[in-house]
Amino acid sequence: MSEVILRADSISKSFGITKAVKNVSMSFQKGEVRGLIGENGSGKSTFVSMLCGIYTIDRGQFYLNGEELKIRNQVEANNKGISIIVQEMGTLSGLTVAENIFLGHEDRFVKYGIKNTSSMIKEAERLLKQFGFDKINPTAMIDYYSFEERKLVEIVKATYFSPQIFVIDETTTALSKQGREELYKILNQIKSEGNTIIFISHDLLEVIKYADNISVFRDGELIDTVPSQNVEEDELKKLMVGRKLTSSYYRRDYGKPVSDEVVLSVRDVSVPGQIEDISFDLYKGEILGIGGISGAGMHELGKAICGASFYRKGKVILYNGTEINSISTAIKNGIAYASRDRDVESLVINDSIRNNICLPSLSDLMVRNIISDRALNKFAKDNADLINIKMEGINQFVSNLSGGNRQKVVLARWLGKNSDIIILDSPTRGIDVKVKADIYSILSDLKRKNKSIVIISEEMLELIGMSDRILILKKGRISGEFFRDKDLSEEDLIAKMV
Amino acid sequence: MKMKEKLLNLKNNKLFSRYKGILILLVLAVFFWGVFKILTPQNFGSWENLFSYMQTSLMYSVGACGFYFIIIMGLFDFSLGANIVLSGILACIFSYQFGYFGLIIAPIICGTLIGLINGFLYTRLKIPSIIVTIGLLLIYESLGSVIAGGKVQILDKQYQIFGSSPANILLAFFVFFLASVLLKYTKIGTYTYAIGSNEFIAKSMGINVNKYKIIAFMLLGFFAGVMSILAVSYGTSMAAATGMATMSRNFTPIMGCFFGVAFKKYGSPILAIVIGEFIITIIFNGFVAIGAPTTIQNVVTGAALLIIVALTARTVKGVIVK
Repeated sequence: MSEVILRADSISKSFGITKAVKNVSMSFQKGEVRGLIGENGSGKSTFVSMLCGIYTIDRGQFYLNGEELKIRNQVEANNKGISIIVQEMGTLSGLTVAENIFLGHEDRFVKYGIKNTSSMIKEAERLLKQFGFDKINPTAMIDYYSFEERKLVEIVKATYFSPQIFVIDETTTALSKQGREELYKILNQIKSEGNTIIFISHDLLEVIKYADNISVFRDGELIDTVPSQNVEEDELKKLMVGRKLTSSYYRRDYGKPVSDEVVLSVRDVSVPGQIEDISFDLYKGEILGIGGISGAGMHELGKAICGASFYRKGKVILYNGTEINSISTAIKNGIAYASRDRDVESLVINDSIRNNICLPSLSDLMVRNIISDRALNKFAKDNADLINIKMEGINQFVSNLSGGNRQKVVLARWLGKNSDIIILDSPTRGIDVKVKADIYSILSDLKRKNKSIVIISEEMLELIGMSDRILILKKGRISGEFFRDKDLSEEDLIAKMV
Repeated sequence: MKMKEKLLNLKNNKLFSRYKGILILLVLAVFFWGVFKILTPQNFGSWENLFSYMQTSLMYSVGACGFYFIIIMGLFDFSLGANIVLSGILACIFSYQFGYFGLIIAPIICGTLIGLINGFLYTRLKIPSIIVTIGLLLIYESLGSVIAGGKVQILDKQYQIFGSSPANILLAFFVFFLASVLLKYTKIGTYTYAIGSNEFIAKSMGINVNKYKIIAFMLLGFFAGVMSILAVSYGTSMAAATGMATMSRNFTPIMGCFFGVAFKKYGSPILAIVIGEFIITIIFNGFVAIGAPTTIQNVVTGAALLIIVALTARTVKGVIVK
């Protein structure tokens, strides 16, 4: 049991200014099931993506059976006996099931340049049968199947060649109970063949049950590896969260009642496959937190509220009866939205701070349909100064700013628009502590001015620290509601999330 | 019981849906034929007419098959027309020296080479394929005009076998067969779809994306070469054109190609292209038969292109189209 099959030696990876994985060294035993846990963004997915050739490694090296592992893509990883089921969709639309299973490995069916399609289909059929997934037809287009069935195809694709190391990245949440059972069966079988499994999941009980050892990631670092036999869920949570936050950058007021004036009602809102039947009210001057694990639907909910969702059902009604069905109605009626994907969905990166701030307010700044440079400059400068954007000037390009200051530009824009309802998706994602504190104090100011704010976040502490009320989403539905309380703990929230 | 279920499954999944797509297309063809036949019963739509429409449409289908590889990958090539003109001019010139051998080999080599240049520059310069091919088409056009030396190149009578049946039909069907095999029975086909579906995943599966993009351009070039053989044989001559005049030759193949894209879910895109081009040719000739002026024909060409693309390219909501 002590034979090391895989060793990671000071692996690091950055995305721009964010250090996703910092100097991680660890080893994996032969025949072991290793759980990897950690909060969202703790670096565990990035770590295994490097192992499987999806991302390149910035610094450090993997050693497989003592040998340096040199791979450039997933197929090369497969050839070394490493395979992965990814968190997102890993199958390709427009190809058949059989083509998907053998994508990148067609050569075994090719003779003189001609692919023996029927023998490939036969082989796929045999594998599907062997795995017990007879209901999937190898000749059918993969598009005909649901997300879960496509995941089953991925399981076949990743394991039919009995890999030495099999990585499951947060797949179980996408599977039904039956699908999970199938996966556990395969997991046990791979283990019994003496191979190693790396198992990433947010479901801690599941990890404790199936893993032999559990490694905890936090902020891109490996915190600890513990045997799963006598570990308690609570201990793991403590390791995941780490610090008990003592600093005072959150709101410190407690027990002040929130107005009972409803500014926005969300009624039976659904987006197929994402969120289901969500109803709640937002009150004047309230900070409402919405939390959940990634994939629970809270990001989609933010879009649904301001009319940016496709296929939305249900209603979003303003206090005056206006229904919000499109982004432009939302903005006209004083609803602001800052997307989680700041650089793509919120900002025009290759444009100046000034133009970004003025963008939604242009019609307010026009005098007889003419926009004057002076008006724009003043407007941008006033709003930028209001929240201390660190910049050379308002004509600096947004692309030259740090993540935190970019987020401030987004906030300055909506401050300028004087929106009454502000929906912020992951407002402090990838932002350093200093700017975080600034953003929290801006939010507190806004609350004092009786603006209503919705914070969607994967960071529990942020929600607890800032919100008057917290809604927790689980699998697209509201699974819990908490009111502002000194004694509210992360564990309370997590219990409703998983 | 299980056997029965399986049979049912097969019927639902493969055979029936496959025939369904073809059936829709055939119904469309008969519909348009019927409309024009009622409007002008005398000079439209006899069996001889239909046979001649089909031969015209086969030529366009050849180019459309080439386009299919490019379009599926999400690329574009505006130089098809320039390729056909240049290859056609070379075909005429080389047929004088080498007979049928020159007529066939010269345009195929020229066409494929143009595809290679297009693909190579596209992957190297890293700029959109539309821009690359528009830039290059001006060069190909000028090259054609220099080679032709201001004269219309005429194909000698003795080399016109591909201008009429059965040689033209045989050549076209050989090409359709080739395209079908490439799509279904080679890695090229699978990777074409894979790259079109998600380039990032395709890359992480070890697929050399640039290589297969260049191959797709070369295939289009090859098919363009074959199309130019049919074009010079059918029209018995080829004249150089400059100032983007060759662009007009792109549109009929593109329209046929969109039929293939739209009906690809039924499993036989090449057949859909062939029938689709036939439908387009019926519409064209129908308008000629009722004596509509060429301006109207152009309006119809444009409108048909927009309608077909709008109906078929139903993308996922939220996808930004540029």
